[in-house]
Amino acid sequence: MAPNAPQNSAGRSPVAAPDVDADDLELTRLIAACAERNSQALRQLYDRTAPQLLACMVRILKRRALAEEALQDVFVSIWQRASQFESRRGRPRAWLMSIARYRAIDVLRSERAELYREAEIEQLPQLVTEGGMDWAGAGRSAAALARCFELLSPDQRRGIELAFVEGASHADIARVTHQPLGTVKSWIRRGLGSLRQCLER
Amino acid sequence: MKHDDPKMIDALAAEYVLGTLSGRARRHFERWRSKEWHVERRVQAWEERLAGLALRLSPMRPSPHVWSQIEKRIGANAGARSTPPPRQRVAPWQAIAASVALLAVLVGGFFTYRSVVGPDLLALATVTAPNATESSWILSADADLRHLRARAGGGARAQAGKSYELWALPDSGAAPVSLGVIPAVGEIDRELTDAQRLALRGASKVAVSLEAEGGSTTGAPGQVLFVADRIKRA
Repeated sequence: MAPNAPQNSAGRSPVAAPDVDADDLELTRLIAACAERNSQALRQLYDRTAPQLLACMVRILKRRALAEEALQDVFVSIWQRASQFESRRGRPRAWLMSIARYRAIDVLRSERAELYREAEIEQLPQLVTEGGMDWAGAGRSAAALARCFELLSPDQRRGIELAFVEGASHADIARVTHQPLGTVKSWIRRGLGSLRQCLER
Repeated sequence: MKHDDPKMIDALAAEYVLGTLSGRARRHFERWRSKEWHVERRVQAWEERLAGLALRLSPMRPSPHVWSQIEKRIGANAGARSTPPPRQRVAPWQAIAASVALLAVLVGGFFTYRSVVGPDLLALATVTAPNATESSWILSADADLRHLRARAGGGARAQAGKSYELWALPDSGAAPVSLGVIPAVGEIDRELTDAQRLALRGASKVAVSLEAEGGSTTGAPGQVLFVADRIKRA
């Protein structure tokens, strides 16, 4: 479904995260400051994370203008919900990424996306290691994910990746892979089950 | 759907995070997640498990206008605060003051917050729930209704995955006109479009609805929570 994306014009390497714990601490601190209504902290959080969140949203929405509009919603939402993060004690990047992905998926499935259907297809951000499995840039826990992802069947991998990275629905995946809907649903269900088992080991 | 089967909950959480749970099932799951901590915990576990899949994308720098829009929407453009304001812990005197203010609103119906909103903006409406734990907003606008400010009151509560949206309810009986999403915390300043101004001018009531995050996608209000009278101007 996604056209084979040309190299992102920025052509930059992924955000290196050599010291993930320090990154987590800094983001957690900034989110806490947002909860205290410090708008400078939101700006810093934006500088550190917006390029990554935008990449994820453009990849789902396929239109930069639409993704940038949705990115505004994401940061307004982060500002409003910053105080909820404290209780969750999770990893800040996963939290921020989830807010961005859910917003992008909601927009994708809404009528709003229709307005942009006619627009020119934008250059899509590249999966940095398209095909490869060097996920060093994605942080430490990603290594375990990469290892477990490798153990899935190629169909399961493709289905999960299309859904997560491209925002594809079951029906979209069935169309792209020329498989019946039921088959696609079971790939994904089984793939997720195996992934969970592997990651908990 | 069996709601107490941990395997089922986990499978739903996984497909929710993946994005393949869609339509009504997705909305239903979102509500469930915001109410039940054990469901939320499974969602979070999946969010953390899968985040690495999207973190591999090469970053893209947003256009400069994105930040200025965000700044406008959170109401931070007028002198951004560089130091954190005092903690939002409610002192006893504040609680008493809040109760008195609430009582005044309930008894008086309308309340003019001239001292709060400054000389340029006049009180437009006060949206107050009959019980103090519910959200409330103070709305103000300039004389021409070009500039709107919505300030969340002490009882406003943010809800995960939800947004509050303000509507003008035209006296003509025409469909409600959205005046935009309003925050549950802090305040927002917004320039109204001509269409919004016109609608507000012809409306003696405004409403606040609860919507999916980011506001109504249909152009019509979802669940209307509060309706308030617009304060008549001399």
